Amino acid sequence: MAAGRMEIRLAGSGGQGLILGTRILFRALSLSGRLAAQSQSYEPTSRGGFCHSDLVVSDGEPDYPLVTGITYLIALDQIGADRSAPLISRGALVIADADLVTEPPKGDFRLCPAPLTGRARALGSHRVANIVALGTLIGVADICPAETLERAVKLDTPKKFAELNLAAMHEGLRIADELKAVAD
Amino acid sequence: MGGEIQPLHGNHACALAAVAAGCRFFAGYPITPSSEVAERMSRELPAVGGVFIQMEDEIASMAAVVGASLGGVKAMTATSGPGFSLKQENIGLASMMEAPCVIIDVMRGGPSTGMPTRPAQGDIMQARWGTHGDHPAVVITPASVKEIYEETIRAFNLAEALRVPVVILYDQVIAHLLESFIIPDISEFEIVEREYAAPDDEDFLPFAPDARGVPPMVRPGDGRRIHTTGLTHAETGFPTQDPETVDRVARRLLSKIDKNRDLIDKFESLETDDAELLIVAFGISARAARRAQRILGDDGVKVGLFRPITMWPFPEDQLRAAAAGAKAVLVPEMNAGQLVREVERVLGRDIEIVSLTKIDGEPIEPPAIVARAREMLAS
Repeated sequence: MAAGRMEIRLAGSGGQGLILGTRILFRALSLSGRLAAQSQSYEPTSRGGFCHSDLVVSDGEPDYPLVTGITYLIALDQIGADRSAPLISRGALVIADADLVTEPPKGDFRLCPAPLTGRARALGSHRVANIVALGTLIGVADICPAETLERAVKLDTPKKFAELNLAAMHEGLRIADELKAVAD
Repeated sequence: MGGEIQPLHGNHACALAAVAAGCRFFAGYPITPSSEVAERMSRELPAVGGVFIQMEDEIASMAAVVGASLGGVKAMTATSGPGFSLKQENIGLASMMEAPCVIIDVMRGGPSTGMPTRPAQGDIMQARWGTHGDHPAVVITPASVKEIYEETIRAFNLAEALRVPVVILYDQVIAHLLESFIIPDISEFEIVEREYAAPDDEDFLPFAPDARGVPPMVRPGDGRRIHTTGLTHAETGFPTQDPETVDRVARRLLSKIDKNRDLIDKFESLETDDAELLIVAFGISARAARRAQRILGDDGVKVGLFRPITMWPFPEDQLRAAAAGAKAVLVPEMNAGQLVREVERVLGRDIEIVSLTKIDGEPIEPPAIVARAREMLAS
């Protein structure tokens, strides 16, 4: 697994499940024995407007728990991408929703447009785009094993949506395979 | 629950630690960004036979906590700036009546209603001097979720051991942060229980101190009648204006701090031995400073970090020792310059002291500290 400090952000608009997304990833990292800190926008944004949820993963004793240079960004819409762009580190991985981010950020980083919301909708609900995104992220980047993320999804989401959420995660892993196939 | 690493919310860590420390009474009035303390207490306390009351306001909450404490239980409230202002008179009452209690103040932007959802560190002087008159003050400033847990337990221990109100100050960032935590086995912690006076001592005076300067409390139901008042009172508990008695009892109240620094003092001093520059910071600003220290360290720049964990009484001797070899001191804080005044008071004018302040509702970030430190070292 990747070592060292990682700064992961899910960005978009209030209501897209950004906080739940990072908390599931935090759970997965916890199950892998990694230390992290999770923070989020703290504003009345839960019903729209720019929102972000961040996970800073540390190597050893944690210091500053907030984002200073994003190494992994998932942008679920345009405002999320635009407002996070200035914080993207050189060499970062940026996964941007292929439909909702029409003008992806440009810079010295790897950009992966991915049909996150489209595939979520095809599965039955645009609301699982956050989980599709997590599957894509861990499929592309070496953050935690898929089985660990699967455990975390089961632990941190309601039972009645478990099937849908797990399907969303596996759809994300498929998107990652497609992205890798294109890269190869 | 224990054993595994799990994400834990700062305010939830406070509530869980309070219950683990034996807190069985919470009275409060919800206020951002402290509300999750009350919310969690409302679930945890009934499960252990405790009492949670959402009061009609901040003032009544503090009054209820003082009453519950004198009624024999460990008691706590949680608030933020505007509520902390309202509580000040009753915090003074707790000092005067020597009612052990814990007050959480999650700092947000001020003054007045200020910025409810934004972090600040502007209450450190209020926590020391907010209530009027000369009074003992113990104020603790944790900097992580883990430290909120540990220091909440210590706050109850100090409150009970010294019969003082203890304030825990942390900012909105740490309050709402989830950090990796392993819920400890409570047997790892020393839990201080209240010392009660023997019910059959005929010469008993309710405010006569023991060797630490603290009078044992009267256990409700033991049959003794005692008088507690906010008026200056003699060892009997009854009001007095006799100058000699007033001087003795007022100085005894203050002496509880001076006599017990061994219990109260706590700080962190990191890489200060051969540092040219010393950073003094607390709370989230200390976390930014720690990152800055590592960034500078990677470039071969030796910077020390001194972090008061107990803010009041201020760790004067410990700061002097940490600054002994440094040429300059940098004090980053999220207010207009409160901690720096204390640093100046302690270190005097023989050393360069630079204040780095931020009052725009955003945390101080590591790059700002790195940049200022480089400027200072270049000059």
